[in-house]
Amino acid sequence: MDTTPSQQFRKYPFGFHDRIKYPYRVKPGLSLKTVEEISYQKNEPEWMKEFRARALDFFKQRPLPNWGAPLSTINFDKITYYVKPTEGVGKKWAEVPETIKNTFDRLGIPEAEKKYLAGVKTQYESEVVYGSLKKDLADKGVIFLSMDEGLKSYPDIVKEYFGKIVPPNDNKFAALNSAVWSGGSFIYVPKGVRVNLPLSAYFRINVARMGQFERTLIIADEGSFVHYVEGCTAPIYSADSLHSAVVEIIVKKGARVRYTTIQNWSNNVYNLVTKRARVEEEGIMEWVDGNIGSKISMKYPSCYLVGRKSRGDILSLAMAGRGQHLDTGGKVVHIAPETSSSIISKSISFDSGRTSYRGLAQVFPKAEDVKIKVRCDALILDQESRSDTYPTMKIDNSGATIEHEATVAKLGEEQLFYLMSRGLKQAEAEAMIVNGFIEPIVKQLPIEFAAELNRLVQLEMEGAVG
Amino acid sequence: MEKIEVRGLRVTVGGKEVLDGIDLSITTGEVHALMGPNGSGKSTLAHLLMGDPTYKVIEGSVDLIKNNNRSDILSLSPDERASLGIFLSFQNPVAIPGVSVFNLLRMGALKNKNNSKTKKDNGHAPVSVLAFYNQLKKTATSLGIDEEFLKRSINDGFSGGERKKMEVLQMLVLQPKFALLDELDTGLDVDALKIIAKGIRQIAKSGSGVMLITHYTRILEYVKPDVVHIIKQGKLIKSGSYSVAKEIEKHGYDPLTTVS
Repeated sequence: MDTTPSQQFRKYPFGFHDRIKYPYRVKPGLSLKTVEEISYQKNEPEWMKEFRARALDFFKQRPLPNWGAPLSTINFDKITYYVKPTEGVGKKWAEVPETIKNTFDRLGIPEAEKKYLAGVKTQYESEVVYGSLKKDLADKGVIFLSMDEGLKSYPDIVKEYFGKIVPPNDNKFAALNSAVWSGGSFIYVPKGVRVNLPLSAYFRINVARMGQFERTLIIADEGSFVHYVEGCTAPIYSADSLHSAVVEIIVKKGARVRYTTIQNWSNNVYNLVTKRARVEEEGIMEWVDGNIGSKISMKYPSCYLVGRKSRGDILSLAMAGRGQHLDTGGKVVHIAPETSSSIISKSISFDSGRTSYRGLAQVFPKAEDVKIKVRCDALILDQESRSDTYPTMKIDNSGATIEHEATVAKLGEEQLFYLMSRGLKQAEAEAMIVNGFIEPIVKQLPIEFAAELNRLVQLEMEGAVG
Repeated sequence: MEKIEVRGLRVTVGGKEVLDGIDLSITTGEVHALMGPNGSGKSTLAHLLMGDPTYKVIEGSVDLIKNNNRSDILSLSPDERASLGIFLSFQNPVAIPGVSVFNLLRMGALKNKNNSKTKKDNGHAPVSVLAFYNQLKKTATSLGIDEEFLKRSINDGFSGGERKKMEVLQMLVLQPKFALLDELDTGLDVDALKIIAKGIRQIAKSGSGVMLITHYTRILEYVKPDVVHIIKQGKLIKSGSYSVAKEIEKHGYDPLTTVS
């Protein structure tokens, strides 16, 4: 199963599918040949091929990180790193595990979408919606393409920014992604343009959400605004065991970017993602990062506040059940003066699941008048579950104002009894307490995501109680 | 007519016996006052009837009798008891961050609507969310609860009086057949006390059975009980008419040492 990428590539409705004549798939395992082959198949410019090759070296040189969740069971030689898009990549509906199918049913997901989400269907019927959206965006000069297409159509912009925010040698998995990346989104928002509708992976579903090694680059030019939403509250089934994405965001002067993720990979997936934003003067970066699925997640969206008066806000949510270890949090690095940031993390562990908050707050010597607020709340639902907190502070300017608050709460018998005495079943009462706990994050989500997330929490809880 | 019948009930908490052979029946339409000094077992009885898992029954029974059918409720979970029409107002209701009384009651009321009295009352059970909200708001206003409280996290940062009113609000919306009211009057000023008493009279008048737990006779001036029980050291030592409460007021609990 490990060698059958299911989610990886799909036909892009406005893309280069005419040229696709046959499915192409590199042999499992990682070598220079693999990487060059990928670049060749994609018909990439020379610099990208070299970028990939260099990244591969970094990947090989670096040891696995030993400070987070255990990763030694990942078998890099068994992973297929590239499958060329075809219409027939999918596997059979019958191969999709019952648990996933049941969840689809209970979430009330339409048949066509179920098959898409399960990786059976390669194209999602979204052309109509996407088509009109695309025109509206094009009129404003907004570029919204797959990363591969972005590289073809706007090679200069891509070359200027690609790998600059997250360099290929940043960490082992950023290096891996840099070597074998495919898919993801490329977004450019021109000066002063405000994109009022969230750019959702739903609209770009067959490109943005399929990859195991997707690469996203967002450039918000001066004074612009964009909200990008990735993921979906329905579980994304992948037979593959490793998902390693890189997201790079450039927030220029006075611009604002919000990036919302609801990650719900199936519970066999290692989800090791590097997300980073560079925020210039008076710019605002907001990460809303929800993690529900995956076996192991290590993900710490970060804001590098390089411009005066820039701001970074990170909302992180993790919900870990049986067999899951979600090591999440956020990083704020204050390089310029008068910058401010907040990290709010909420985690829930239940049914022997494990969550860890890991965060960094750093202030450079020349960053005067910095304000940082970190708050992490953990809710533990039973004795078998676990939650840890690993905050790091590196403060090299004594004028910084820093608030740090952490709470750990056990699901109270008293709260449970109170709600049940009002007629709620145990699972409903637990879900209500959990939903109440995460409410500060949920209310930041687009409404349809918020509703779906609440419903999903309830499903997870029902499953846990039996 | 329905009846909760408690027989020979012995209860422990943390290995310590807190109720030592209680016999008591509450019929719909009756108002019972349960009085006793601190630590006598008043709250224990109310919580136990609601199904609080903290308490353990070692002997005795609690049955619900309806149309001559007797069913044991001790094996039922709190939500199952709620669906039979049993309600407990808490002496110190817990705060639940992010959960509003509106959300809680909407879910609770929807679940209970087939069993509570509202259905019989000419089908006044609310259907739409808006209708439900309006009804909730109306009831809240009658209790002097500001609309804003309906959306706030329940009991989170509420004053003592606000919490008590919120309990009464829930009772009036859920329309239970049996209302177990644990020290609703404690710590209230006279205005709040009057409002709460009015709510209790309302639920009693609608035909519910009420068990009013209190230290003081003060609230009984506003809500006249049909029966007054005195509980001491886990035993009911006296049951009688309103005059029993008067006696307590005069002489305190001390003279009452034996079951009469």
